[in-house]
Amino acid sequence: MARYLLTRAWHSALTLLLSTVVVFLGVRALPGDPALALAGEDRSPEALEAIRHHYGLDQPLPLQFAQYVERVAQGDFGESIRTGVPVSSMLTTALPVTVELALLAILIAAALGVGAGVLAAVRRGHPAEWLANGLALVGLSVPHFWLGLLAILYLSVATGLFPASGFVPLLEDPVDNLHHIVLPAVILGTGLAAIIMRQTRSAMLDSLSSDHVRTAKAKGLRPRAVITRHALRNSLIVVVTIVGLQLGGLISGAVVTEQIFGLPGFGKMTIDAVFQRDYPVIQAVVLLTATAYIVINLLVDLLYSVIDPRIRVTGDPA
Amino acid sequence: MTYLSFSGTSPRRRRLLRAAVAAVAVACTVAACSPVSDSGDDSKTDENQAAGQDSFGTPADPAAVKNGGKLVIALSAEPDALDPTLSRSLYSRYVFQAICQKLYDVDEKAQVVPQLATALPTTNSDGRTVTIPLRQGARFADGTPFDSAAVKTTLQRHLTNARSGRKSELGPVESVDTPDAQTVVVHLKQPFAPLVGALADRAGMIMSPKALQSLGDNFASAPVCVGPFKFAKRVPQNSIDVVKDPNFYDADKVHLDAISWHILSDASIRAANLRSGDAQVADSISTQDVAALRSDASVAVLQSQSLGYQGLTFNIGNVDGVGATPKPINRPIAQNAKIRQAFEYAIDRKALVQAVFNGIHAVACSPVSPASPFSSPEAQACPAHDPAKAKQLLAEAGVQTPYPVTMLASNTPDTLRLAQALQAMVKDGGFDLKINPVEYSSLLDEQDRGNFELLQLGWSGRIDPDANITNFVGSGGSQNVAGYSNPQLDAVLTQARQSNDVEERKKLYGQAVTILQQDDALIYLYRQRNLTAVSTKIQGLQVFPDGVLRAAFAGFTK
Repeated sequence: MARYLLTRAWHSALTLLLSTVVVFLGVRALPGDPALALAGEDRSPEALEAIRHHYGLDQPLPLQFAQYVERVAQGDFGESIRTGVPVSSMLTTALPVTVELALLAILIAAALGVGAGVLAAVRRGHPAEWLANGLALVGLSVPHFWLGLLAILYLSVATGLFPASGFVPLLEDPVDNLHHIVLPAVILGTGLAAIIMRQTRSAMLDSLSSDHVRTAKAKGLRPRAVITRHALRNSLIVVVTIVGLQLGGLISGAVVTEQIFGLPGFGKMTIDAVFQRDYPVIQAVVLLTATAYIVINLLVDLLYSVIDPRIRVTGDPA
Repeated sequence: MTYLSFSGTSPRRRRLLRAAVAAVAVACTVAACSPVSDSGDDSKTDENQAAGQDSFGTPADPAAVKNGGKLVIALSAEPDALDPTLSRSLYSRYVFQAICQKLYDVDEKAQVVPQLATALPTTNSDGRTVTIPLRQGARFADGTPFDSAAVKTTLQRHLTNARSGRKSELGPVESVDTPDAQTVVVHLKQPFAPLVGALADRAGMIMSPKALQSLGDNFASAPVCVGPFKFAKRVPQNSIDVVKDPNFYDADKVHLDAISWHILSDASIRAANLRSGDAQVADSISTQDVAALRSDASVAVLQSQSLGYQGLTFNIGNVDGVGATPKPINRPIAQNAKIRQAFEYAIDRKALVQAVFNGIHAVACSPVSPASPFSSPEAQACPAHDPAKAKQLLAEAGVQTPYPVTMLASNTPDTLRLAQALQAMVKDGGFDLKINPVEYSSLLDEQDRGNFELLQLGWSGRIDPDANITNFVGSGGSQNVAGYSNPQLDAVLTQARQSNDVEERKKLYGQAVTILQQDDALIYLYRQRNLTAVSTKIQGLQVFPDGVLRAAFAGFTK
């Protein structure tokens, strides 16, 4: 196990370094100049020179990279070219927003998706199944941004039930925070809810016709207990896998949702940074995302061996 | 709440306008041109905010507004560093308007008026010594006194900070003296008339020396100036909050408790926030949304014609990048002014503005806004739309038609609609226009490198005409991306920036426009109107020709 962990850690470090190089060169390969983007309308050659000098953009690339890696190793992501605010403080305000949005969206999607999926499987052939299937189709095919705009139009502008945009930190006012984030989370969760619903439904149909469920029924268990304890429990393995796989999609969906609802999260930060050619911010965002993916993958691989003892982890290359 | 229209002001003004229009008409019979007359259309005196009219908003009536409340403004883009020396974004000026007063301000007629100064500056006979009298008893938000020493500290920081965005605006300042606490004397190397205009913008915002000393380059993290409000909090990418400053000298005229700017980049989301009541003000409304917002009784739309312009720039000598010595480019349109003039004749500006912007923006044919005190009939002269003349000029130039031109333009929906309308329009004049849309940051890069034949971009505008002309068309100007150089024009512009006589400057800028229209390196197309939607619950919100949203003295209706 220790040997396995060591190998994985070494591979992870290598992947991180590679992704750092790629993103470092990638942002610099983008057409456009951060100094020009920052200088805006007041751009004289001296001003551009001063900006480039201040952010070290006038140094040779290898030197810039070395300095960047050295600073990142010390936990310093530099300061935003656009606002002059330290990138680490931007990350600490943006990250909780996106994490909260994504977690809430998963919760909502799981509740809606599992509920509707079970209903559709149990009430097969009933109008309830058609309704659930119809809603799933809509959830899958209607883009987030359009749903978001509709929600703002009808639930914020027309009825005033929810604020049209904005964000209040959780620690500042938990109720107001929820009030602001529920609508975006529901919108973001719709696609995932539809996928979960489809998967739950088919897994439930499988389970319901399987031997152990028939045995449970034969033993005289109440239908509710058969469904929740025997059929659903087995089907949830699929759901958990799906949620894991969809995490990436959820984050990219969050980018759009944050933009529409004006949530100061990771996604909005990334988009703004790309348009402004704010190198330090883009680099930090990509590096953090890469790290998160690597860590999650590592955890998932380790979890497999915990969940299913038939899967063994060794230090040998697969 | 009523918003007075600009054209419905005084009879005297109307008489002046008529005289001006008549003068242009006479000039035009000789020069085959037509005057720009869109903002001052006398026949429209109703206050119904018709398209193409200015409405700047009116000051709040103290009897009709209540004290207290937090105003939320939906802002289209994020302000950059809240440091008057370093700031380069226009949106920062919205926030500064509430927290950082300036030596001078502008009024709705684009005239400079005193703010932290008590009177317009006096300039001595050689034009090189400018004396500014200062307000007594004002205090910074940190309680320290506002005096001449503070002004000197600020101006010196503007002039010496390596990343200063103000250095070029302040011009040839040699030194700053403080003979007493209420007087500042600026010594110039050469006369520089645009100085006052600069002091009516960020260069004139005075920072607390105490805060500067403790924060240094991090002043933007907690800016301290003299203002009706003081900085409270900033959440990057999201919002900026300010609260009422009890130290402000006119604190009893401030009605609101706080102002919060929420950054919402999508125009329809801003409009939605306004309608839902989450925000009371939304800036940069799209011309497409204006009609819908106007039909909403709870929303008023302010529109103020900008001092800047949108235009088309030909690359006629930018080979080695902006600022480098122009070199000849082997393209007929770069070498022959006749072809560029033909292009201008092929454009029907009025139809363009009508079709693309519902007639809300104003036709422009020169860098001098008709709202500027430096405008003259010559500065507003305009080559008429004449496709036959365009074809004739192309024939004289001896080029084959349709003459192909590729235009670089920003990929925003508004710009693309403009480009497509242009494309259809210039076809009749014998041009085959190809559009090359690029993302904004890339566009700036290509522009400065000189990688374009024709380019669509604009300028937001400044109070002093010099700041809207010289940098862009003067030889070696830092934004002369056309690589254009005409010594005759340079001489006129230099004379104009060194003169303190308004009448003389007017005449000189008129001459400059005549030269510009002959050479046609830059074809001016239209002037944007800054469109701001305001809830009728709010009074006293104003937008002047400098484009700055003035919210500091607004209040909620009783």
